[in-house]
Amino acid sequence: MNTRAHGWGYTAIGVLILAVMLFPLYWMLNVSLQPSGSAVGTPWIPLELSFDGYATALREQGRNLVTSLIVALGSVVLSLLIATPAAYALAQFKVRGAGVVLFGILISQMIPGIVVANALYNAYSDLGLLNSIPGLILADSTHGIPFAILIMRAYLLSIPGEVIEAARVDGAGQIRAFVAIVLPMSRNALVTAALFTFLFTWSDFLFALTLTTTETVRPVTLGIYQYIGTYINDWSSVMATAVLASLPAVVLLVVAQRFVAAGVASGAVK
Amino acid sequence: MARRGASLRTALPALVAAAALGLSACGGGSGGGGGGGDVTSLRVLDYYNNEPGKSTWGRKIDECGQQVGVTIEREAVPGPTLIAKVLQQASSRTLPDVLMLDNPDLQQIAATGALAPISDFGLSADGYQEGVKNASTFEGQVYGLQPITNSIGLFYNVDILNQAGITPPKTWDELKTAAAALTQGERYGVAFSAIADYEGAWQFLPFMWTNGGDETNIASPETAEALQLWVDLVNSGSASRSVVNWSQADVMEQFKVGNAAMMVNGPWQFPALDEAQGLNYEVVPIPVPQAGDTVVAPLGGETWTIPQTGDPARQAKAAEFIACLNTDENQIALASALTTVPTKTALRERFTTEVPRMAAFTEIVQTARARTGKLGAEWPTAATRIYTAMQTAITGGAAPLQALQQAQNG
Amino acid sequence: MADGRGPAGVVVAAPDRPTSTDATPAPPRRPAGGWWSPRGRERLLQLGFLVPAVAYLLLFFGYPVVQNALMGFQEYTTRTFYTGEAPWVGLDNYVTVISSNVFGTAMLNTVLFTVGSIAGQFVIGLGIALFFHRRFPLSGVLRSLLLLPWLIPLIVSGAVWRWILDQDNGALNRFLGALGVADDPGWLTSTSLALIAVIGVNIWIGIPFNTTILYGGLQDIPQDLYEAAALDGATGWRAFRHVTWPLLRPVVNVVLVLGVVYTIKVLDIILGLTNGGPANATQTIATQAYHLSFKEFRFGEGAAMGNVLIIISLVFALLYLRANRRALAG
Repeated sequence: MNTRAHGWGYTAIGVLILAVMLFPLYWMLNVSLQPSGSAVGTPWIPLELSFDGYATALREQGRNLVTSLIVALGSVVLSLLIATPAAYALAQFKVRGAGVVLFGILISQMIPGIVVANALYNAYSDLGLLNSIPGLILADSTHGIPFAILIMRAYLLSIPGEVIEAARVDGAGQIRAFVAIVLPMSRNALVTAALFTFLFTWSDFLFALTLTTTETVRPVTLGIYQYIGTYINDWSSVMATAVLASLPAVVLLVVAQRFVAAGVASGAVK
Repeated sequence: MARRGASLRTALPALVAAAALGLSACGGGSGGGGGGGDVTSLRVLDYYNNEPGKSTWGRKIDECGQQVGVTIEREAVPGPTLIAKVLQQASSRTLPDVLMLDNPDLQQIAATGALAPISDFGLSADGYQEGVKNASTFEGQVYGLQPITNSIGLFYNVDILNQAGITPPKTWDELKTAAAALTQGERYGVAFSAIADYEGAWQFLPFMWTNGGDETNIASPETAEALQLWVDLVNSGSASRSVVNWSQADVMEQFKVGNAAMMVNGPWQFPALDEAQGLNYEVVPIPVPQAGDTVVAPLGGETWTIPQTGDPARQAKAAEFIACLNTDENQIALASALTTVPTKTALRERFTTEVPRMAAFTEIVQTARARTGKLGAEWPTAATRIYTAMQTAITGGAAPLQALQQAQNG
Repeated sequence: MADGRGPAGVVVAAPDRPTSTDATPAPPRRPAGGWWSPRGRERLLQLGFLVPAVAYLLLFFGYPVVQNALMGFQEYTTRTFYTGEAPWVGLDNYVTVISSNVFGTAMLNTVLFTVGSIAGQFVIGLGIALFFHRRFPLSGVLRSLLLLPWLIPLIVSGAVWRWILDQDNGALNRFLGALGVADDPGWLTSTSLALIAVIGVNIWIGIPFNTTILYGGLQDIPQDLYEAAALDGATGWRAFRHVTWPLLRPVVNVVLVLGVVYTIKVLDIILGLTNGGPANATQTIATQAYHLSFKEFRFGEGAAMGNVLIIISLVFALLYLRANRRALAG
């Protein structure tokens, strides 16, 4: 259970584990390259490569991918802005009612998403927020904010009080102490919360469906549904879109993987 | 969800959100202004969100829009999400001017009072096939006009049947023998959809109805016999056990690659089947219990309705628009392009001449029935009972009659 | 929950990292000197950190929660959407729902589904996390790729798994057949296997989440503790029991509580795989609630079902965390 370096034998096992876990994704890739997009009788390896699915997906979903990206990034910014001070307050300040707030957050995770979506539809309709990117950002943050508060609070609990006291004694106000001392120290937790918020928002389907009525603002998760019609399904386009849609996530994961581990680590422990 | 007049509900979010975003409340999207004045545009909501429906209907909708002198703002949503959308719009009073509904859903929506009877605008469904008219009728008033309809029949692979020297079955017994004879190797004799959803119930209806079964009480010997047929087909190996998990789209895939010699499906599959190289298929009506019986199949297709938007001028325009979609010429055009059947009985002969491949379905539609004909808004509950019983019997959980009784009393 | 520490993080003092929420009591309600004194302004500022989050939560969750709770007591149909009328029927919806044929089955399935999923996800997730805890070439890249199953849209995962599990032609049965192990089991079509298949797919989806968080927890355990234990002769399994497990407990708590809360309301994957069938073999409280509301349009009953689910989640969370706190204190 220690961390001395091991050899390529372990890498091989790691690859095997990954292969088993990711087989369905391979299948997805396989179907996306099939000419007719037929699912039945699909051979193990796509011998007849066909990029029709990708052509369709790129042609029609390019804009949606950008929309998804903007909404996801916006949601990350908003969620962190709201969740980080709250997590800090719940961790470091002795506020009465912190327990109630935390309990409320836990309950919020138990609500079926569709209940929230229906209520939001009415409100958005009255406010003219339908089919708008800010509207989607606000709504999708319901995925990220509660989770971010829980994760970051856990980490922020472990920041020694003395460090903050020292800053205060030197004359820094609450906000200054927070921004200059605490935030840099909790970089990993921030990145982790940001990462999961991005992932949650990127894969959201419910709000994309409920809060849009036209094609102007259409996240890619809803774009995929276009190919799953009332009568006919165009599976190769569906799979091609899904593959394209996972690319940003994959890139982010590999790039930020160091932060994911380290951040969540100290975060959730305390 | 429900709109309960001015309340904290709208006030609170409005206050905070408006303050936070600096937006001025722009109001919802409820069509154009109040009454009077010229109507220049209509909002249309339907679920033809992918080909071929999307462009075919798109063209027709634009044509009719031009004809009645309006521009069309069209929203096409994925099929399973239409009703949720309609409900949301109903509660926020943002229903479109023209609303397409799958025919069995009309009763539910009409019961809410959200639709206007078409007779209010001088339209009528006289001359339409009986079942089609029934589906769009709620408490004696007609609420929608349906230009095209479809049903289900028995598709068979001509080459496979010829090779085996078998003629397309006409009765249940013939179906059982044919299916058994055609089951070879990886290929099953017949495929149908017995899925735990309304599609499964829909596929079962022709068997149930033709034998005298009734949806008001499914725990009857007639229905049990129909269910027994399905159970026998699966148990004897003539139909795959996977039918309980196949949608009609899956069934079509099986037939297409040759894993099934016959299948129960509808004409909307023609385009996909035509794409398959070397697939030679024909359609006959679904086999009946005894020779000489007439098959009673369910009616599909969507109906066009006029929601109560509170603006009589717009509603009148919407009525004109719907009438345009339902003219003889348009019915024929839509039916040919989408491989369905026109609903006006007078067009039957002309259509069979112009589009011979639809002959079998045109005939089937003559005697077809609406699913909501007897139960109206209670149909979804009955459909759930049907497919629950069906699944219980096919998976061997209970004998057909018991399964039906359990479901009926559930 | 009254002592201000909250349910989701139980404080564990690791030897060299004192936490800052130890024994000091909560401050008095009204700051001495009033709200505008320096002390009072300080308090206001502190509350200010919390206000945006609380406002957001109330707005976006508060109203829907109340609305949903009330709906369980009303006769809510499609008519209500249009007219706004929803007559109060008290407990009728709950009675109807609980006495229906399918409720017992749904309840049992929900319990089995949740327990099976969590057990599988957790054990496998922990195993993989422990494996990746060692350093080897490319471990970082491999570990991040493991998160992929979690990212695929559920509608796509559902479709892919349906094909893989198809009885006649699915990849799994082809594989098992080639090995000569089994004879085309009906994973999604047999009432005895369907629930197992669905649990299996849910485990697959949940492993990455568990692995990532548990891995993080493992990373945080100081190396010196292991060295100290090794000096005492405790390695391998004993090291796990005496060093790893106790220090991992808090992470385990978060993973299990959140896991149960998320799993109990799982809907899309079951709908995508079997739609609750065959013959209600995979019908859970969540899927039945969805069916009642959106397929049969009996929204009041659907909401009642949904509320049953929320109550179960709540009870579980409370009991588990109370028991856990007692265990850690003692």
